Amino acid sequence: MTFYLRRLAFYAITLWAAISLNFLIPRMLPGDPFTILLAKLQRSGGVTPSVENSIRLLLGAVEDQTLWEQYVHYWGNLVRGDLGVSVTQFPTPVTELIAGALPWTIGLVGTATVISFVLGIGLGAFAGWKRGTWVDSLIPSTTMMQSLPYFWVALLLIFVFSVTLGWFPIIGAYDVFEFNGPEWSWAFVGSVLYHAFLPALTIVISSVGGWLLGMRNMMVATLSEDYITTAEAKGLRPRRIFMTYATRNAAMPSLAGFGVSLGFVVAGSLVMEQVFTYPGVGKLMIQAVRNNDYALMQGVFLVITVAVLAALFIMDLIYGFIDPRTRSNNG
Amino acid sequence: MIRGKIRGRWLTAAAALTSVTLLAAGCSGASEGNEGPEDGGGSSASAEGAATERELVIWAGSQTPITANFNPYNPASVLHLANGGIYEPLFVYNKIADEPPTPMLGLESEWNADGTELTVTLREGVQWNDGEPFTADDVVYSFTNDTAKPPYLEDAVASDDATVVFSFDDPQFTNEFAILGSTLIVPEHVFAEHEKDKGEDVDGNALSGLVAWPNAEAPVGTGPYMVDTTSDAAYTAKANPTYWGGEPKVASLRYIGIDSNQSAEDLLTTGQIDWATMFVPQPDRITSSGVYGYWNTPKDPTVLYTCANADRGCEGEQTDVAVRQALNLAVDRGAIDEKAFVGLAETVSPTYALLGRDDKWIAEGMPAEAAQTADAAAAASVLEDAGYTKDADGFYGKDGAAIELTLASPDGWTDYNNAAKLIEEQAREAGLKVVATTISEAEYGDQRFSGKFELLVGGVVGTSIADPYQIYRDWFTGDFTQDVGTQLGSGEWNFSRYDDPEVNEAVAKAGQTNDEAVKKEAYAVVQEHLVEDVPFIPLVVNATQTFYNTKDYAGWPTEENPYAFPPAWENPSSGLVLGKVGGTGQ
Repeated sequence: MTFYLRRLAFYAITLWAAISLNFLIPRMLPGDPFTILLAKLQRSGGVTPSVENSIRLLLGAVEDQTLWEQYVHYWGNLVRGDLGVSVTQFPTPVTELIAGALPWTIGLVGTATVISFVLGIGLGAFAGWKRGTWVDSLIPSTTMMQSLPYFWVALLLIFVFSVTLGWFPIIGAYDVFEFNGPEWSWAFVGSVLYHAFLPALTIVISSVGGWLLGMRNMMVATLSEDYITTAEAKGLRPRRIFMTYATRNAAMPSLAGFGVSLGFVVAGSLVMEQVFTYPGVGKLMIQAVRNNDYALMQGVFLVITVAVLAALFIMDLIYGFIDPRTRSNNG
Repeated sequence: MIRGKIRGRWLTAAAALTSVTLLAAGCSGASEGNEGPEDGGGSSASAEGAATERELVIWAGSQTPITANFNPYNPASVLHLANGGIYEPLFVYNKIADEPPTPMLGLESEWNADGTELTVTLREGVQWNDGEPFTADDVVYSFTNDTAKPPYLEDAVASDDATVVFSFDDPQFTNEFAILGSTLIVPEHVFAEHEKDKGEDVDGNALSGLVAWPNAEAPVGTGPYMVDTTSDAAYTAKANPTYWGGEPKVASLRYIGIDSNQSAEDLLTTGQIDWATMFVPQPDRITSSGVYGYWNTPKDPTVLYTCANADRGCEGEQTDVAVRQALNLAVDRGAIDEKAFVGLAETVSPTYALLGRDDKWIAEGMPAEAAQTADAAAAASVLEDAGYTKDADGFYGKDGAAIELTLASPDGWTDYNNAAKLIEEQAREAGLKVVATTISEAEYGDQRFSGKFELLVGGVVGTSIADPYQIYRDWFTGDFTQDVGTQLGSGEWNFSRYDDPEVNEAVAKAGQTNDEAVKKEAYAVVQEHLVEDVPFIPLVVNATQTFYNTKDYAGWPTEENPYAFPPAWENPSSGLVLGKVGGTGQ
């Protein structure tokens, strides 16, 4: 039991530190939202004093408060579930922006992550099992795909399948030329799936190689273990050895990595969302950082931090359960 | 906004990697026969072409997610349609031609002799799109409500149903554009109800007043379109059947949000957007399909800001006028345009007059165009005359210390970054050590406003009317700057901290009069100083590229019929364009 209490205390302290850093870091960034916004407006014509006045009203008077007062204020709001209002998307509350983006991110990036994990583990196990045969050629080709710059893969796919062949759409999570917003209809669901294909494909292409390589190497190591030799000597069917003895044990380290990946799913996929104009959390983060939109930045980082910590915590618990060795340090 | 769009994209770098080749055979689009230039009559905004049900798809630079906000008093997130398409000004000024403005809600305007009173005659019979009549009181309200009232305005009075008289304490000729051309007219009967609206500012503190109101539900305006639906990916508008210029011919519009320039370019090549203004390095790829018309309307100069004035706290060798003159001679503008701006930029005038539009303001004896080639020898002799000597490495300096200037540009603004690199090389040819670096956008903003920089690549906002006055006043006079270390305040753009009594006086004199001869005389003084003192080193006039579908739509502003500045994001002339565009009937 002390194991779980220790872990819990550890996560509580980590969470406090992360949230405090989340408060401090944006405030240490150079520049302020006012000058950035002004410079942007300047691009699209003259900025009249009344416009400047409006911006000052919107951005509030930060200087009046000490950092400590702001910190207390920040915690107070946080406890009430109020993450503030975005400057770039005024007057939408940050919680609403994140709530709007999360389902898309989890749906697409989450599914793509699961697909690429299952695919990578499956192929990796197979490649490890058939080591030394033609299957080994899978490894260099998938790792090469992973080493290609992600945005380049995405742009290439768009160029070939969307622009030249016209098979897939160029932007959006659904047909923005047809639908006036999300709705419950089969046509809309079909449109969402159709629009998700290319973005998901780019994520799978660029991440499957890592899982595959890790799994294959673990598989090779596992297959040389004594208990595998014993199993073979006992005359167990190869299929049973492959599934029950080798793959299950070899997948353990990958599973830990998978937990962390799942936590990071909520961070979205910055480049994918940008390239495909796909709604998601990653884009909110880019916008927030570009415009020194503190409230949005903090909201997004908070969600990511909590999700990653939660994923790690759950993995910790599961691991402690399935692998007793991690629970005691006197082994 | 569009600036971030165009160059903030690190993706544009990636764009170079994909070669988008158009398969369609190249035949340039036969543009529709447009009527001649407007004579300023009452029918100026009437639509052209045939009625069409085809939805006009526009990208005005919005990124997703889109927040429904049609409040013109919220500059941070108001959507493009609001400024011009829903709310209209009294007149629309044409930024690219020296001609009288197009009458919108105003018909005529007249100054009194000393510039303290401006009388505007309003259009009659105009209705708000909720059926209420548009009155002179609405105009008065639009100028006198707490949020919009300009500080220089003494009073605005409706002298009768169709006349508004603006009065000022001192001559305000120079604010004519701000009053007539950029203030949007809002309905008093709707806006007055929201003056006490409550909201939250960014820190969660209470905020009240018109800025707190998103005006997201059925905004009431006089413009050609009315909001139909909104979502975080796009918003649509339908034609206003009671529009004073006649019901628009295009039944519906769709403004979409796009996050990367590359996507917008792909949507243009595949014919999915009808009107967009953005940077496209090779416009031929888009126009070769024959669907799109294309017009490049350069307007905003790109320069090197120099922190020039040691008296106001600037530090670095660039505070010596000889160093600035030498650098000015050392830059090869032709190469910068060709390599950094892909040959799409225009020649800049060292007088900051927009060539072609403001030619009459360029004083006699002033160079109309900046030199397009480098003159290293001349640069060297300027430095030698000022007492600089060349060191062993070939760099000029004084007292054994070589000149070293830091030239910064915002990371990811690729054309600026490339220009800075080129200038680094060109300066080296002339024996000047310039080090090009990139900084974050936030640092860039901070350095400009606080004056803590040596050289920055930057932009100057071109004037909205055919007169460089606003550049002279806002960018080069002592009243529009602060000491280094103090942030520039409202409307102050004098980043170089330039402060010359003769310039200040001449600009003040020009602001007091509407007499062309007096103004020209004053401008001659200003121009002489700007050319001699080079507080900014002019580079090019930046491209503004607009693409518009001429296959399905007619009535666009074009090079042949330049009735308005064409960008889809332009406020408020995009409203004028929307009122005029119609289908081709194909």
